[in-house]
Amino acid sequence: MLRLAVSFCFLLSALPLTAATALEYFETEVRPLLAEKCFGCHTQTKMGGLSMASRQDLLAGGASGPAIEPKAPERSLLIQVVKHEHERIQMPPGGKLEDEEIAKLVRWVDAGAVWPDSAAAAPKAGDKYEVTDEQRRYWAFQPVKAPTGDIDQLIDAKLVEKGLQKAGPADARTWLRRVSFDLIGLPPTPAEVDAFVADPSPAAREKVVDRLLASPRYGERWGRLWLDVARYSDERLNSTQDEPFPNAFRYRDWVIQAFNDDLPYDLFVKAHLAADQLEQQDLAGHTREELAPALGMYGLSPKFQDDRIDVTGRGFLAMTIACAQCHDHKFDPIPTEDYYALLGVFNSTKTSERPLADQAVVQEYESRRKAADEAKGKLNAYLAAQAHALVDAFAGRTSDYLMAARELLLEDGKGLAAAASREGLDPETLERWRDYLGGSPREHLLLDEWDALLARKASKEEFQAFADGFQTKLQEVIAERRRMEKENEIRLGGDDSAGKAARTELLSLPREEYFLWRDVASGEGHKLPVRASTGVLYYDGKAIERFLAGPVADYVTRSRAQVAELEAAVPEKYPFLHVISDVAEPKNGHVYIRGNADNLGDEVPRRFLTVLCNGEPKPFTQGSGRLELARAIADEKNPLTARVMANRIWAQHFGRGIVGTPSNFGQMGERPSNPELLDYLAARFVAGGWSVKALHREILLSDAYGREATDIAANHEIDPDNKLLWRYNRRRLDVEALRDAMLFVAGTLDSDAGGPPVMLDEESNHRRTVYGYVSRRRLDNVLGLFDFPNPNNTSERRVPTNTPMQGLFFLNSELAMAQAEALVQRAADEAGEAPAKRIERMYRLLFGREATAKELSLTQKFLAEEPNGWPLLAQSLLSSNEFLYVD
Amino acid sequence: MSTERLPLVSRRDLLRMTGAGFGMLGLAPLLAEQTPAASPLAPKPSHFAPKAKRIIHLFLNGAPSHVDSFDYKPKLAEYNGKPYPGGNLRTERKTGSLMQSPFEFKPRGESGIPISEIFPEVGSVIDHCCVINSMYTDVPFHEPSLFMFNCGQRLAGHPSMGAWLTYGLGTENQNLPGYVVLCPGYPVVGPQLWTSAYLPGAYQGAYVRNTERDPEKLVPFLKNPSTTPEQQKRQMALLEGLNEAHLERTGPAPELESQIHSMEVAYRMQVEAMDAFDLRRESEATRADYGEGDFAAGCLLARRLVERGVRVVQVYYGNSQPWDTHDDILRMRELAGDSDKPIGALIRDLHQRGLLDDTLVVIGGEFGRTPTVEVSGRIKVQAGRDHNSHGFTTIVAGGGIKPGLRYGATDDFGFKAEVDRVHVHDLHTTLLHLLGLDHKRLTYRHSGRDFRLTDVHGELVPGILA
Repeated sequence: MLRLAVSFCFLLSALPLTAATALEYFETEVRPLLAEKCFGCHTQTKMGGLSMASRQDLLAGGASGPAIEPKAPERSLLIQVVKHEHERIQMPPGGKLEDEEIAKLVRWVDAGAVWPDSAAAAPKAGDKYEVTDEQRRYWAFQPVKAPTGDIDQLIDAKLVEKGLQKAGPADARTWLRRVSFDLIGLPPTPAEVDAFVADPSPAAREKVVDRLLASPRYGERWGRLWLDVARYSDERLNSTQDEPFPNAFRYRDWVIQAFNDDLPYDLFVKAHLAADQLEQQDLAGHTREELAPALGMYGLSPKFQDDRIDVTGRGFLAMTIACAQCHDHKFDPIPTEDYYALLGVFNSTKTSERPLADQAVVQEYESRRKAADEAKGKLNAYLAAQAHALVDAFAGRTSDYLMAARELLLEDGKGLAAAASREGLDPETLERWRDYLGGSPREHLLLDEWDALLARKASKEEFQAFADGFQTKLQEVIAERRRMEKENEIRLGGDDSAGKAARTELLSLPREEYFLWRDVASGEGHKLPVRASTGVLYYDGKAIERFLAGPVADYVTRSRAQVAELEAAVPEKYPFLHVISDVAEPKNGHVYIRGNADNLGDEVPRRFLTVLCNGEPKPFTQGSGRLELARAIADEKNPLTARVMANRIWAQHFGRGIVGTPSNFGQMGERPSNPELLDYLAARFVAGGWSVKALHREILLSDAYGREATDIAANHEIDPDNKLLWRYNRRRLDVEALRDAMLFVAGTLDSDAGGPPVMLDEESNHRRTVYGYVSRRRLDNVLGLFDFPNPNNTSERRVPTNTPMQGLFFLNSELAMAQAEALVQRAADEAGEAPAKRIERMYRLLFGREATAKELSLTQKFLAEEPNGWPLLAQSLLSSNEFLYVD
Repeated sequence: MSTERLPLVSRRDLLRMTGAGFGMLGLAPLLAEQTPAASPLAPKPSHFAPKAKRIIHLFLNGAPSHVDSFDYKPKLAEYNGKPYPGGNLRTERKTGSLMQSPFEFKPRGESGIPISEIFPEVGSVIDHCCVINSMYTDVPFHEPSLFMFNCGQRLAGHPSMGAWLTYGLGTENQNLPGYVVLCPGYPVVGPQLWTSAYLPGAYQGAYVRNTERDPEKLVPFLKNPSTTPEQQKRQMALLEGLNEAHLERTGPAPELESQIHSMEVAYRMQVEAMDAFDLRRESEATRADYGEGDFAAGCLLARRLVERGVRVVQVYYGNSQPWDTHDDILRMRELAGDSDKPIGALIRDLHQRGLLDDTLVVIGGEFGRTPTVEVSGRIKVQAGRDHNSHGFTTIVAGGGIKPGLRYGATDDFGFKAEVDRVHVHDLHTTLLHLLGLDHKRLTYRHSGRDFRLTDVHGELVPGILA
C-alpha cells in the first residue's frame, strides 16, 4: 500500500527538470528539507561517517557506502533509508518523512542531484553558531495557533482522514471507574456508581468531574505526576549512606496543594524557579511565602548543575538542553553558549534553608545549638588532652609493664593484681598489655622479637634488654606522630575538607610504626585478642575518670553536667524549607570547551535560550537571573510551555501523549500525532488562565475520552498503537493507584493528608502511597517492583512492565493478605453472613457491578472446596485483571 | 483472530481435551512451550550464533590493585622508592614514588601466567582464564567508573549491561528472574548500577541481599506465611477462572493475557526459586570448596542460578567498596583471603559441569590502583595505592574466550595500559559479541534517540576470542 502511494506521488512530480529549474528546485525544495531533517547529524557531526554538506560528501558517503547515485534513486542509499526500505537504517530518526517530501528527494536524485558547488551548507568549525530560519521554523518553535473546532472535531477529522473506525461509547459504570481512577486514583464507591447510573441528566458527567476535581484526593493523584518530572525524593543524594531530608515533604505537600487549588500553571512554573523574587505583577494575589516551598524542586536536588539545567529544559520546555554542555546540540538549535548562559544562572544560585519559624525561634535554636556544641567540643578536647598526657605517663613505664606482663604470660595466668601492686602498676593497664602482648597476629613486626623471646622462654635479662629498647622506640613513635599531626595541620592551612587533603602531600608514620602507634597510643583501638575500642594506653570517655583527681576531676564532672544541661535545653529544630537563593555576587559563566572545566572558553552572559528569543537574547540583569528566566519560560508567547504541560495532562488521561515523548519536543522527539489538537489544547490552556482543572474538564467530557477500550481489528493496519484515539487505551493501575485502591476497597485507607513521609514497608502504614518515603539509594520494594521512576532523574512517563516478581506480591505479600482479610470483614459487616450476599458486596466494592452467574458459581464452588477460603477468595479478587486494569 | 495471539484460549481447549483441570504445577512443561510473545523476558534469538549463553560477573567493588594481584611488574621492585618516569598521570589524590608489591608472584599453570601469592586458587584455574592486563577507563573516580563498567556511561541514568542483555536475549527460565544481582548490602551508588533506566522495568536486576542463607529471606514475597500449597493451588485456579471470565467479556487483549501468564509464572517461581536460592541443597564437599562468607555464597548461588537458565548474575564482593585500599595494600591479603577460594571454586565447578563452555565469567573492579604510593588525603598510613583509570586488569573466562592467555600490557610499572589497550566499551562490545549480540544493533529508542550500551564507542577485541 505504502509503496504504491509513494510511487504514485513520484510519478506526479516526475516532470523533467531543466538545468536552471533543477538548481531552483534544489534551493527551494531540497536544501530546506535536508537542512531541517538531515544536517543536524550529518554536517559538523558526521553520524555514521556521513557528511551531507555537499554533493561531493554525498557521493563519498559514510560507513554504509555512497549516499546517492545520481539519476538512480532506487539504488541510492539516501532514498532507501528515507523510504524505510533499507533493512538496517531508517531515517530520519525522529519519524518518517511525509510521502511528499520523499518524492522531492527522489525527483532531485533522479534529475542528477544538482547542487551548486560553492554553497557550503553548514557553518565551519569555529564559526559562531547561528540559529537558522529553517531551525526556527521547526513545529515546536512556531507560535501556538488555535484551530477552529473542539477536541472531538479535531480527533474525528484525523479518524475520517485515515479511515479509522471509532469504538462506541463506554457504559456509565466503565466511564465512572475510569474517570475516578484518572482524577483521584481511587475507584468509585458502590453508592457513587448507583447515583451516577441512575442519573439520566445530560449534566451527570459534568457533576462527576466537578465532584472529583473538588476532592482533596485529586491533588494527591495529580501532584504525583509532577513529582515524577521534578524527580522528588525524601533524601539527599549520597552514594554511601542514607541521608534523609526531614523537611523534603513540604515541597511534596505544596505541589499537591497547588493542584488542589488549581494554581495557574504559569505561576506554578515561576514559583519553582523564583518564588523568592516574584513581584506584584507575577504574584496574582498570592504571596512569596505561600509559593516558597516550590523552590524545593531545585533545593532538594543533588548539587549537579547539569541536573538542574536538565530538569528545567525537559521539565518545563521539553528541550534537551543538557546535551549542549559539551558541544552545540547535534539535533536541536541549542548552541553550547545557551547551556552556559543557563549555567551562569544556576551557578549564581545556592541551596539554602528557609526557616518556617519566627526569627526569635530560629535564633533561640541556633544559639542554644551552638552553645551545646561548643561546650561539648571543649570538654572533648580537654579529655583528649588528658588522655594523651596519660598515654605519655604510661609510655614512660613501658619497660616495667612489659616485664610484669612477661611474668604473667610465662609464669602464671593469675596473680595480676599482685603483680601490679608489687611494681606499683595500674592493674587494668597491665591487663591490657598482657592481652596485647600475648595475642597475634599483629599488623606490624615491632613485637616479633618479643614473641620469639616468649616462645623460647628467654631469660629475664634478654627480656629486660628488649623491654628497655621497646620503651624508647614507643616514646619516639608517639613524639613523631605528634610532630606530624602539627605539620599536617600547617600544610592544610586550617582547611579540613576532603578536597584540600586530596591535593596536599601529608606526612604519615612508616607502616610498622603507624600500626604500633595505633594499637598502643591512639583512640582507634586494635583487634588483639578481641576488638579493643582504644589503644592499650588510651583511656577515653568515662574510662579516664578514675585517673582524674582534685580540680581536674571536679572540672570534668561540672563540664559534663553543663553539657547535659545545654543539650537538654536545645529545642527541636524549627521547620524549614529546602530552597534556592541567589549568591551575593552573581557571575556569568564561561563555556567549558568540550565540557571540560579546565578548558575555559568565552564568557557567556546569563540569558534565555536563543531559539526562543526574537533576535539576540537580552542578558539577564536582576541577581542570578532566575526571575527573568522564570518569566521567559512562563510567558504565554513561549511556544513550548503550554504545549508541554497540555501534552503531559493529555498523556495522563489517555496513557499516551499527543507527542509520545513528553519531555522531548525536539528533533529527536516524536512529532505530534495531531498537531492541531495539541495547539487547540495549548491555546485553551492559556486562554483559561492556565487552569489545569479547566483543561481536565474539557478533556474528560469529550467523546474521545468516553470511548470503549474494545479492540477493533480492522484498525490495526492503519493505526495499531491507537495514536489517533479511535478507542480508549486500557491501562494497568500504576503503583500508587494499585496500593491505594487495595486499601480503599478493603476500607483501611487512611485519608490523612500531608506531613512527613512514612516507610511503605511498615505494615501499619495505611496512608496513600504518595506519602510514602521515596529513597534515592534504595527504593521501596513495592515501588521498584511496579515501575516507579528512578528519583535521580526527571521522568517523562511510567513504562509499565509485567513481571512474575509482581505476581509474588499479589500471592504472598502481607499487604495483599491483610487487605483481603479486611475486605472479607467489611463485606460481612455491610452485607451480612449469607455467602452470595457477601460475594455480591465484594464485587460491588471492587468493580462497581454485580457478579455474573458464572462468577457466583466459580466463587461458591471455591468456598465449598475451601471452607475457610474467604480471605483467599478476596485476595484473588484483589489480584484479578478486572481490578488491576482500568478500561 | 489467530490462536497465536490468544494462547490462553488454546491452552484452555487443551485442558478440556485432556480433562486436566487447572493444576499449575502439572502444567508447567506445557505452559513453558506457550510463553506468550508478550512476556518481556521470553527468550529471544540473538543477532548471530552465540558462543556463550549466560554471564556471571564477579565485581570486586572498590577497585583491586592489579600490580598486587594479576599484573606482575618486576621493574616495580627494582625501582621501589623512585619517582614514576611516565609523566604526571591524573589520579584522584596525590601520590609519591613507586611502591613495590609486598606479595610474591609465581608463574602458574601450563600457561605460566604470573599470579600473586595471595590468589593461589585463581592461579590454579588460570589456564581457563584470559587475563586482560591492558584495561583502561575514563576517570579515576568511583561513581563515574562504576557507572562506566556497569552501564557503559559515566553518568547515571543508563541501563546496566545486565538489563541490556535480558532486553536483548530474554532469559531461559521463565520461573526465575532473568538478571539477578547478589550483594551483601549495597555497593557505592547502589541500585542504579543494575537499573533498567529507560528500558522497561522487567529488565532491571533482581536485587538479592545475600547476607541471608534462607531463600525465604532472600527473595521478596517468595513464601506465603500462612496459605498452604494446596490452598494456593485452588486459589490460583479460582483466579484463573475469574480472569478468563473477564477476558471473555473484554475480547482479545494481549496485555490481559500476559498478566495472566505472569501470575502463573509467579506461582511456579515459588517452588523453583526456593530451590535455586537454597545453598543447603549443595553437598557438604561443594560448599567446602567455595569456602565461607557472603562472597563465597554469592559465587555458589551464581552457579546454581546460571545452571537453571538465569541469563545474568552479578555478584558484588561486598557492601560499600571493600577493595578501596588507599592506606595499606597489605589489606589485599585479607580481601583475597575470602575471594580467592570462591573464584577458583566457581571456575572449576563450572568447568567440571561443562557449563564453562557456554558461560562467561568476568572478574574485576571498576578500575585499578596506582603503582605509586598515595601520600595525601586523611589516610592513616602511607602504604596504599590511589585510583588508577589508566590501566587495570580484568579476568574473563568461559564461552568463546581464549583460555590461558595474558592479553595486552601496561607500561613497565603497571600505571598505564600500553599494548593492545582495551577500553571498558571494547570489553562490553566483546562480551555482547560472545553472547551473540552486535552492540550497534542492540538499541532502544528512548526520548527520540536510539541508545545502546556502548554509546557511540566500542571495538571488538578479536585477540581474546578463542
